[in-house]
Amino acid sequence: MPQAVPTRSRVTELFEQYQSDLHQRTDRLFAGLLGFQWIAGILFALWISPLAWSGTVSRTHVHVWAAVLLGGIINLFPAALGLLRPGRPSTRFAIGVAQMLMGALLIHLTGGRLETHFHVFGSLAFLAFYRDWRVLIPATIVVALDHMLRGLFWPQSVYGVFVASQWRWLEHAAWVVFEDVFLLMSCVRGLAEMRQTAERTAALEQEVRTRQQAENDERALASLTSAIGLALTRGTELSTMLQQCTEALVKHLDGGLARIWTLNDTERMLELQASAGTHTQLDGPQAKVPIGVLSVGMIALERTPQLSHAEQIDPHLDDALWARREGMVAFAGYPLLVDSKLVGVMTIFSRREFSLSVQDTMAAVADGVAVGIERKRAEAELKRRARDLEEAHEIQRTHAQQLSALVDQLRVTQRHAEAATRAKSDFLASMSHELRTPLNAIILYSELLQEEAADHGQPGSITDLEKIQSAGKHLLELINDILDLSKIEAGKMSLSIETFDIRAMLDELLDTAAPLVQKNNNRLNVHCEDTLGTMDSDLTKTRQILLNLLSNAGKFTRDGVIALDVRDTMIAGRPCVEFAVTDSGVGMTEAQTEKIFEPFTQADVTTTRKYGGTGLGLALVSRFCQLMGGSVAVQSAPGEGSRFVVRLPITGHDSAVDAGAPAKVA
Amino acid sequence: MTRCWIGAVAVMWMCLASVGLAVLWHYDNAPGEPAHAPGSWPSHSHLSRAADAPTLVMLAHPQCSCSRASLGELEELLARTNVHPKTYVVFLKPAAFGDGWEQTDLWRTAKRLRDVSVVRDDDGVEAQAFGAATSGQTLLYDQNGRLQFSGGITGSRAHQGDNAGRQSLLALLNGGRNARTGTNVYGCPLFASGS
Repeated sequence: MPQAVPTRSRVTELFEQYQSDLHQRTDRLFAGLLGFQWIAGILFALWISPLAWSGTVSRTHVHVWAAVLLGGIINLFPAALGLLRPGRPSTRFAIGVAQMLMGALLIHLTGGRLETHFHVFGSLAFLAFYRDWRVLIPATIVVALDHMLRGLFWPQSVYGVFVASQWRWLEHAAWVVFEDVFLLMSCVRGLAEMRQTAERTAALEQEVRTRQQAENDERALASLTSAIGLALTRGTELSTMLQQCTEALVKHLDGGLARIWTLNDTERMLELQASAGTHTQLDGPQAKVPIGVLSVGMIALERTPQLSHAEQIDPHLDDALWARREGMVAFAGYPLLVDSKLVGVMTIFSRREFSLSVQDTMAAVADGVAVGIERKRAEAELKRRARDLEEAHEIQRTHAQQLSALVDQLRVTQRHAEAATRAKSDFLASMSHELRTPLNAIILYSELLQEEAADHGQPGSITDLEKIQSAGKHLLELINDILDLSKIEAGKMSLSIETFDIRAMLDELLDTAAPLVQKNNNRLNVHCEDTLGTMDSDLTKTRQILLNLLSNAGKFTRDGVIALDVRDTMIAGRPCVEFAVTDSGVGMTEAQTEKIFEPFTQADVTTTRKYGGTGLGLALVSRFCQLMGGSVAVQSAPGEGSRFVVRLPITGHDSAVDAGAPAKVA
Repeated sequence: MTRCWIGAVAVMWMCLASVGLAVLWHYDNAPGEPAHAPGSWPSHSHLSRAADAPTLVMLAHPQCSCSRASLGELEELLARTNVHPKTYVVFLKPAAFGDGWEQTDLWRTAKRLRDVSVVRDDDGVEAQAFGAATSGQTLLYDQNGRLQFSGGITGSRAHQGDNAGRQSLLALLNGGRNARTGTNVYGCPLFASGS
């Protein structure tokens, strides 16, 4: 807490009060002393010279009458002044004169005893109680005059000698002045000490006032903080919250006017939200203040608090004239900032100065109000978004209902499709079975008839029978493919996992496939890495995949080269075997490659007519690869041949693979 | 208005005090009736005169407080003389008062003085013989009975201190010159006026 500095006026006031108290006390003291002197003089006269005699006749001594009457005159008037008009300079001057006159009377009453002169010195010392050296002046003058007159006309009464110099009174006066000098020093020192006491008392008072003010400020600030906290935490609207804040500022800080503007960031405009004190309307000339205009706008622009104190309220302040007229002595304006982002401005005019603690509290209040504004805005934004979300949720709910209906519909459709698929599969299975039985009979009998025709030397029939047998086999092959495909689509196709040697599998495969490849005068090149070993997979389906690919390559290549490259590889961290079948055949366009793995689809409609086939071979390849956890990809360009790459895991298969998913086209 | 009133009262007060002091001063300096002392030692006096030394006689009223100063001056005088006179202090004792009336503190003071004879003057016989009218009247006769001095030995009523009477007596007793033979006497009248 800073050291309290007493005001000079208060020191002077206290000093004068002390002087007045001292003068009054001393006046009353002298009133008693004068009365005592009077009584004592009378008693003294009665004791020493009660009667004056003339022979046998006695009468009251003149000294008694002098003590009563003259003593009364001398003492009672100043004593009355001391009682009725204590503290007045005239009173103490009269008392000073009376003391000296009383000294003169006592000298008379005591018969000029030199000891009575000590009354003069004692009286001067008593007069110094006033701590007013001016009192000594009239007293000293009276003594000097008394001695001068007596010295001139009756020196024996005052000097004790019959003949004295006419200037001897100066010697006596000088002794009195000598005492006066010391008494004057005593008075001056006493006054200095009195002034020091006044200064200490004033400082103490000031400190007490400062402490009381600080305590009052603390109480007011605690109430303000509490009120602001309540206003900020109540679930009220922004304008109500800010109005409660301004009212709390006015109430607890003796504020004349407190206002809060919020920033309209879009218009770069401060909008008056709350006003309490002398003005409560929100639609005045300062209802909307652009940034940088007026002091409020400048506070927003500069983002620094503005503080004007005491009589020096900034004359440039917009409301300076009003403030002076209303007795406002302090102004404070604070930008309302949240993380350096301006959200508004808070101002307050007060009828008393802002202490440092008040300033700190107002800064904290400004921070709190800023956070409150931001919170209210966030709450409003949250409400808006919640509303939007609710609307979106409603839309989503509608969509979900629609989707649910669609799903139900799809489920029905799926059930119908599955039923249809099952019916189709059942139909195909039974159909295949029903077809394969007579077909096998046809193929078998045509083979027997060929043998008989050969035995009977009927070569002309052999050719026809071979065509019948070939057509039957093709038809059987077609039926088997359809059967496999339908099994896959029906989810009834299962793998028969076994361990087999890849090279042995290839050797056996090539025995079957070589004629198919070479029938168009093609050359088959097979290249296997030496590291090839065994694989745990479905041997039949692996062989059928390769057979289909090699058969296709032989079918669409003439006088070309067909290559089979087999090697170990790693796919996604799993060991695989890569089978690559490359031909130098007709090749395909990109559009064609995208649909060749679909059932009953060939590169174009002329393919079947030109090259034959069912369009199921590559579809089966694709489905088998996926069923076995592998993949098939194709690279091709028209006239440049094709390259089919099959990658199959060495161990087992990935059951998660959807067998119905299409193959990749490189 | 009050200030003026107070000022006026203060001036009046000062005047009254000054007048009072002046009256008192006047009273203190007002001499008593002088003595008509005989030039030679009165023959009908009961007091005996010294033949080989001056004789000093002080006539006093035993109830006169002013004469206390005269006794004090007498003591001073006797202490400072080279020639010690035969000294009497004669206290008046009117016939109207009973015995012991004269035994006042003045009597006792006088009795304490060395070589001083205290005498009761019944009905003022001695005072009248020496022609004294005022208490404190002091007379000095030489060894031949001639009057050398008649007056008071205080400067004013009841005031001790240097005074012309004492100085004159000292001069006469110590053989000095230019001594006054009479001074004013300050004290109570020894006899009521008209008596």
